[in-house]
Amino acid sequence: MASSTTPTLQVCRDCGGGAPIDAHFCPQCTKILSLGRHGDYFAFLGLPRKLNVDPAELERRFRDLSRQFHPDYFYNASPAERRASLERSSYLNDAYRTLKNPVSRVEYLLEVEGLAAKGPAGTTEREGFSRASVPPALLEEVFALNEELDEIRDARAGGTPAEQWKPRLERARVPIDAKRAAHEADVQALSGRWDALVDAGAPGADRRRILESLRQRILERNYINNLLAGIERELNG
Amino acid sequence: MGRVVGIDLGTTNSLVAFVENGAPVVIRDKSGDGLVPSVVSIGGEGTVYVGREAQRRLLTDAQRTAYSVKRFMGKGREDVRHEEEHFPFRVSGEAGGVVRIGLGDKEFTPPEISAFVLRDLKRRAEDFFAQQGEFDNEVDRAVITVPAYFNDAQRTATRDAGRIAGLEVLRIINEPTAASLAYGLDKRHTGLIAVYDLGGGTFDISILRVEDGVFQVLSTNGDTHLGGDDIDVLLMDTILGDRVRTPEDVQAVRQAVIQAKWDLSERDETTLNGRPFTRAAFEALIAPVVDRTIGPVRQALADAGLAPSQIDEVVLVGGSTRIPLVRRRVEEIFGKRPHSELNPDEVVALGAAVQADILVTGNREMLLLDVTPLSLGIETMGGVVSKIIMRNSTIPASGSELFTTAVDNQTAVDIHVLQGERELVADNRSLARFKLRGIPPMPAGLARVQVQFQIDANGILSVTARELRTDVEQTIEVKPSYGLTDEEVERMLLDSFEHAEADFAARLLIEARNEAESVIQATEKSLRNPDFAAIEKDELAPGERQKIESVMAGLRMVLNSKDRETIQKWTHALNDATQHLAEVIMNRTVKAALSGKSVNDV
Repeated sequence: MASSTTPTLQVCRDCGGGAPIDAHFCPQCTKILSLGRHGDYFAFLGLPRKLNVDPAELERRFRDLSRQFHPDYFYNASPAERRASLERSSYLNDAYRTLKNPVSRVEYLLEVEGLAAKGPAGTTEREGFSRASVPPALLEEVFALNEELDEIRDARAGGTPAEQWKPRLERARVPIDAKRAAHEADVQALSGRWDALVDAGAPGADRRRILESLRQRILERNYINNLLAGIERELNG
Repeated sequence: MGRVVGIDLGTTNSLVAFVENGAPVVIRDKSGDGLVPSVVSIGGEGTVYVGREAQRRLLTDAQRTAYSVKRFMGKGREDVRHEEEHFPFRVSGEAGGVVRIGLGDKEFTPPEISAFVLRDLKRRAEDFFAQQGEFDNEVDRAVITVPAYFNDAQRTATRDAGRIAGLEVLRIINEPTAASLAYGLDKRHTGLIAVYDLGGGTFDISILRVEDGVFQVLSTNGDTHLGGDDIDVLLMDTILGDRVRTPEDVQAVRQAVIQAKWDLSERDETTLNGRPFTRAAFEALIAPVVDRTIGPVRQALADAGLAPSQIDEVVLVGGSTRIPLVRRRVEEIFGKRPHSELNPDEVVALGAAVQADILVTGNREMLLLDVTPLSLGIETMGGVVSKIIMRNSTIPASGSELFTTAVDNQTAVDIHVLQGERELVADNRSLARFKLRGIPPMPAGLARVQVQFQIDANGILSVTARELRTDVEQTIEVKPSYGLTDEEVERMLLDSFEHAEADFAARLLIEARNEAESVIQATEKSLRNPDFAAIEKDELAPGERQKIESVMAGLRMVLNSKDRETIQKWTHALNDATQHLAEVIMNRTVKAALSGKSVNDV
C-alpha cells in the first residue's frame, strides 16, 4: 500500500488544475474533487500520523467534513460531483471508524507504514499467527491453559456438573486476562513513544523499532482475544 | 419541477407530509384524518380501493383485500409460509422467487400493492396543493421511510414501490432517524438519544448522538417481524379457537380485538367477545411479545458502547408505544420517562418531509448520518461468510475484496453476497448472486480482481469490479435473490396505469363514508370517556345518550349503502346530536386545565 515516494498532488478532473493531496475541493474551480489520488486516513482528516487522538477532536473533524461532502448536499449537482461526494463520504466514514477505535488505529498505522499486522484495510486477506503457531511470549500461558481445558473437557464428558467445572474455567482465564491487561499497557506506552518520535522528527530506524514492537504486541493481542473467545464458548456451550 | 413530500409507508397506516414555511405538516383529508390505512382492495370490476374504503371491504370482501403487506416486502416465498394462514388473501410465488399476493383473479407483488398506497398518498397531496391554489401541484419526488432494520432487499422493494407509483425516490431513510429529525426541530438538542419504535409490524431501536445539528446514528437493531400485528394475532387466537370461520368473520374479530387493544391503553377494563377483559389480563398475554424488544435494545446499547443510564432522552415512535406496558418496559430499561410529545403515528412522516426539504433546498442546518443495520459479506470456501462491511458502519460505506482464479484461463468467478451477522452462509440473508465476467485469460491465481461494494446513503448496495493487472472494469449482472429486475419495475409502472381508480362519483361516496366513520369514532370515544357516567348524570338531558346511540346506529345502518346523500344526512344528524356532549366535554377539559388538574384523555 505505502509507496516510497508519497504523492503530494492530485488533479481536479473537472478543470484539470492541480490540488494538494489532502484537499477535498479544487482550489481553482471549487468543485468537490473525485477520490482519485488521496492521502491516508490521518491526512484525510487533517490529523498528524500519531496514535493518541483526542476523541472530541476526531468527532469534530468528522462532523465538519460530513457537512462538506455528504451526498445530501449534492442532490442537485452533476453526476460526477455526486459520485465524488459518495466516494469521499465513504472514505471519510471508513477513516473515522478506523481511527476511532484504538486497536484498529494501531493496525492502520502499521499498514500505512508498511508493516501490516493484517491485510490491507477493507480487504479480508489476513495473516498473522495461525492457531497452530503460538507467539513465543505466550507459550507458557497457552500451554497451561490448554492442559487445563483438556482436563475440564474430560470432566465434562465424564458428567461432572457445571457448578464444578465452570469455576475452574473461570480461574483458567485469569492469567490470560492479566496478560491482556499487560499488553494494553504496553501498547499504550509504545503509542506514547511513537508520538514523541513523530513530534521530534526522529530518524526512520528509531521509528521502525517501535513499529516492530507494536506489530508484535498487536499480533499477540489478537491471539489472546482468540483464546478468551474460546473460553467464552466453552462457558456458554 | 413538481412538489416534494415525505412519506411514511407503514405496515398498518401510511402518511404524507411536506414542509411549509420551514415546518413539516401532515397532509389530511377532508375529515381531518392524516392516516391512510395501508390496505388495498380490488373490486370485482377491477377497481382499486385504498385506505379506509379498502379497510371496510375487509368485512365484505376479505379475500380481495390485502393488508400488512410491508411484512412481505423483499421476501421470498419460503420466508412467509408460516404466517400466510393469518391473512385472508392468497399468498403464492415460485420457490426461490418473490412473493405474490392474489386478490380476485389478479396477482401482485408486494411492491405493486405498496405502490397503490403510495399513489393514493401522492394524489392526496396533489389534491391538497391544488386546493391551496398552487399552480404547480404535481407531486413527483418523495423521501420514503423504512424500518432501520430493513435489509437491502426490503429497501430495494420499497424504492421499487415508489417508482411503480410514479415517484422519484429521493432517498430511503430509516424511521427512527426520521423521528429524531422531527423531534430535533424545535429544540437545539445535544446529547444521546434512544428512539424506540414499535409499529404495526416492525420494531426498531436506534441510538443517536446529536451535536451541532448533526444527527449521528451510533447503532441500530430491531426485528422486522415484531409489532402490533403480533399482539392482534395473539388476541385473535384466544377468541377464534379451532372453529372454522369465513374470512369476513375473522376480520370482524380482528377489528374487535384491535378496538379492545386501543381501549386498554386508556382504561383498565373493556369488553371483548361479550366478556370483560382487563388490562392485567391483556398485559399478561402480550408480555412475551413486548419482551422480545428488550434483546435488540441491549444489543444496540452494547454496540454503541453505552450503558442505559448514559442515554439523555428516550423517544417513543409507532402506534404500539401507546400501550402502557410498552411504556413501562421502556422506562424500566432506561430508568427514565420516555418522550411522547409528538403524535407517535405522525412523527416519522414529519421527519421524512424534513429530509426531503434538506435534499431539495441544500439546507445545511441539519445532517442525518445513518448506519447500515446488518453486516455485508460474501460466501467463501466451506459455506462461511467473510464480512466486508460491518454492521453499524456509517453510510455511505464501501469495502472491497480481492478475488483470483482457481484454474488456468478462467474468465469468470461466481460471487454470492449476503447480509447478516451469522458465521454460516445458510444463516444469513442472500442478497444477490452474480458472475464476474471478462477476466483476461491467464494462469490460475494470477488474476487480481478487486470487487468494490458500495452502500449508498439509502442503505442500498451496488457492486463494481476491476481486474488490477489489466485495469479492466468488469461487467457485473446482479440478480437480486428476492427482488424485481429493472425491466419488471418498468413494466409494472406501465401496468399500473391500467388499473382503474374509483371514478369521481365513487370517490365522493368514499369521502362521505370516511367522514361518517370518523364522526362515529369520535362519538364512541366520548361515550367511552371514563367520566361519562358522571357527565351524563350531571349535565346531559334525560334521554340524550339514548338519542345519540340511536342516531349512531342509524348511521351505521346506511354506512355501506351507495346513497351518498343519505349517508351525509345521517352524519349531520349525528353531529347535531353530539354537539351538546362535545361542548360539555370541552368545558370540563378547559376547567380542569385551568385548575391544573390532570384529566383523562377526552
